Amino acid sequence: MSGRAFTPGPVVYPVETDEGWRPERRMMLLFLIAGFCALLIGASIGPLQALNYDGVNAYPALRSIFHTYYQGLTVHGVLNGYVFTFFVTCGLLVYLPARELGQRPSMALWGACFGLMAVGALSLIYAMFDNSSSVLWTFYPPLKGSPFFYLGMTILTLGSVQPLPVLLKMRAAWKRAHPGCVTPLVTYMSLVTMLMWALAGVGALSELILQLDPWSLGLIGTIDPMINRTLFWLTGHPIVYFWLMPAYISWYGLLSRQAGGKLASDPMARMTFALLLIFSLPVGSHHQFSDPGFSQIWRAILVVLTMSVAIPSIITAFTLGLSLEYAGRMRGGSGLVGWFRALPWSDPSVAAQVLGALTFILGGATGIVNGSWELDAIVHNTTFVPGHFHVTVGSVTAMTFMGLAFWMIPHLTGRKLISRRIALFSVWTWFVGMSIFAIGMQWAGLYGLPRRAWVSALPHDTYHALYGVAATPTTLIAVGGVILWVATYSFFLVFFGTLLFGRRADRPAVPFAQALSGPVSHETGVAIPVATGHGASVLANRLEHVWALVGLTAVATVAAYVPILWPFLHNVTHSPGWVLW
Amino acid sequence: MTPFDEAFHASAERHERAFIVCVIVMMALLTVATMFYVVHDFGLVTTTQSFHSDPTAAEREVAAADTGRVVKTGPNSYAVHITGKAWRWTPGVIHVPEGAEVTFYVTSSDVLHGFEIQGTPVNLTAVPGVVGTVKYTFHRTGVFRIICNEYCGMMHHAMIGQVIVDARAAE
Repeated sequence: MSGRAFTPGPVVYPVETDEGWRPERRMMLLFLIAGFCALLIGASIGPLQALNYDGVNAYPALRSIFHTYYQGLTVHGVLNGYVFTFFVTCGLLVYLPARELGQRPSMALWGACFGLMAVGALSLIYAMFDNSSSVLWTFYPPLKGSPFFYLGMTILTLGSVQPLPVLLKMRAAWKRAHPGCVTPLVTYMSLVTMLMWALAGVGALSELILQLDPWSLGLIGTIDPMINRTLFWLTGHPIVYFWLMPAYISWYGLLSRQAGGKLASDPMARMTFALLLIFSLPVGSHHQFSDPGFSQIWRAILVVLTMSVAIPSIITAFTLGLSLEYAGRMRGGSGLVGWFRALPWSDPSVAAQVLGALTFILGGATGIVNGSWELDAIVHNTTFVPGHFHVTVGSVTAMTFMGLAFWMIPHLTGRKLISRRIALFSVWTWFVGMSIFAIGMQWAGLYGLPRRAWVSALPHDTYHALYGVAATPTTLIAVGGVILWVATYSFFLVFFGTLLFGRRADRPAVPFAQALSGPVSHETGVAIPVATGHGASVLANRLEHVWALVGLTAVATVAAYVPILWPFLHNVTHSPGWVLW
Repeated sequence: MTPFDEAFHASAERHERAFIVCVIVMMALLTVATMFYVVHDFGLVTTTQSFHSDPTAAEREVAAADTGRVVKTGPNSYAVHITGKAWRWTPGVIHVPEGAEVTFYVTSSDVLHGFEIQGTPVNLTAVPGVVGTVKYTFHRTGVFRIICNEYCGMMHHAMIGQVIVDARAAE
């Protein structure tokens, strides 16, 4: 086999030959730029939060922009967690399937998605920057922000489910053209992700539309904190998967090809997504282990469901590891770790995704801690929790999206990255910075350091009396934050530098991966139809019935939430709103 | 598929099955372990004392029971009623004896607060209109801080109370 000799350097992507996708490429670029602009603002504020935990209060110096730490934190959470991820995901989950299927997406719907999200995001930005809505990204009532905040959130969320009809239309057209064939993998994964998100959105949208919007507009006078909190987490947990699943799509659907190999198992990827759909919806109230008001039996059931939702992620770790091992061995790596060293580390897109995946070992393990009822009592609402999700959404999602940008900008604009070295530098510093930061946050949480608290504004003696015991971890938090600042700006140097000044070059094609087992597909950048019963596995055929999966998920979600909401609905509290910042 | 691909694939499928079994066993063991400790330390589990439609009623219920001190409820058990209100805990300083079972009744009269006692697993959301409870036994004397860990506005970080665990008087 000629490929066995060691091959240094990045894998050369095939060149895009199909020049007919101009409107789609431009729309995708728009989504990418909008998303990353949100990250630029959100990530710039991040290190201020990190310094805060080490007792360094930078906010007085920023008085003209931010009145308080809590205002800055609201902007950080909303822009990074919602606006950045929604824009990139809603672009990606239409563009990739369109290219895979060779089907034109409905530009009107996809454009409406962008328009709605842009209006929502601008409304949120207005409400956050005028300090009328420093309610943090969880916006728990009875803290009361301005109508612009809640309406903006509503419109943003409504926009974010628009890719679903676009996907359904493309899939239906493809199925008509290829009767009896299995949906190609990337489309399948994208569709399951959007179905999951559309179901999940019901929680936050009903919270917003039935309660928070009319309340903030003065149409209703009081609000029930527990019902709204529960509805928030009905969406707030699955949103974790709306962050992770697009990254998994890139890992399963593209990364193995980018690394020079093949996807180890196509049916296993489908099963992972089906499990994520079913298990991510009913578990949201595990964020409420510390809340009074609902039965212990349901808390126990939530523990079991939460442990179950970890399973597809651990399977992903296995399949991804195996695909990378295959790639590394094809590139000539041998021995126990040689294959890992042989990966194309000089390709910033591969490096970003593999390093992001590595941080997920810590992120996933700490997630299991959070989900363990008894352990959660120790870490609930301490810095352990943001420590955990900075090595999930802050590394897995953010780094995978950064990695996507490194091939996608050349693909979409026909411009070469201005510097592969700076791109690699940004990825490694992000990896190192985020790891140090997250370890510091998790460690400090064990000393009871509360999350999202402006501890640096406390008198010096009080800060030391309370949190001096956590001096080592809080130092790590600050160091990690500063390294992340360097990473952020070197990334955006490459991102905007390439958009503006990149040299013209051939466009690389979308690097769709081919599965190791099963028929040859994706060789030309467009999926080759695989008929059911002809090479497609039994599992893949069974999982084609996405509406059955949706039905199952809906039933499980209703079954989980009726008993949780029941006592709250029978004991409604009429709380007035409070503006306390 | 090349022979290498075929060998790799066969080995991959075998390991995949074994891996999935290991994962399921591991998660099942973790579930059993966490449930064991929940049952073992059941007092730490957040339970509900009462619901009120008027949030100030929950505050009054707690305030009526609050004498500013702990209430002795049994030979070695005490009750403490606490209200969170932006940005202080009432009562702000609580004296409890070492080694006694203390039941905390916690509510809020405005927004959500978080009732965390630093250095212990006591962690309960203070919700307007709902009185929640946890039980805990302090086995060490000294000052424990009550830290608000649910964002409640401008001075959230300064919402700190104290539990002072006194040594048991020689009997």
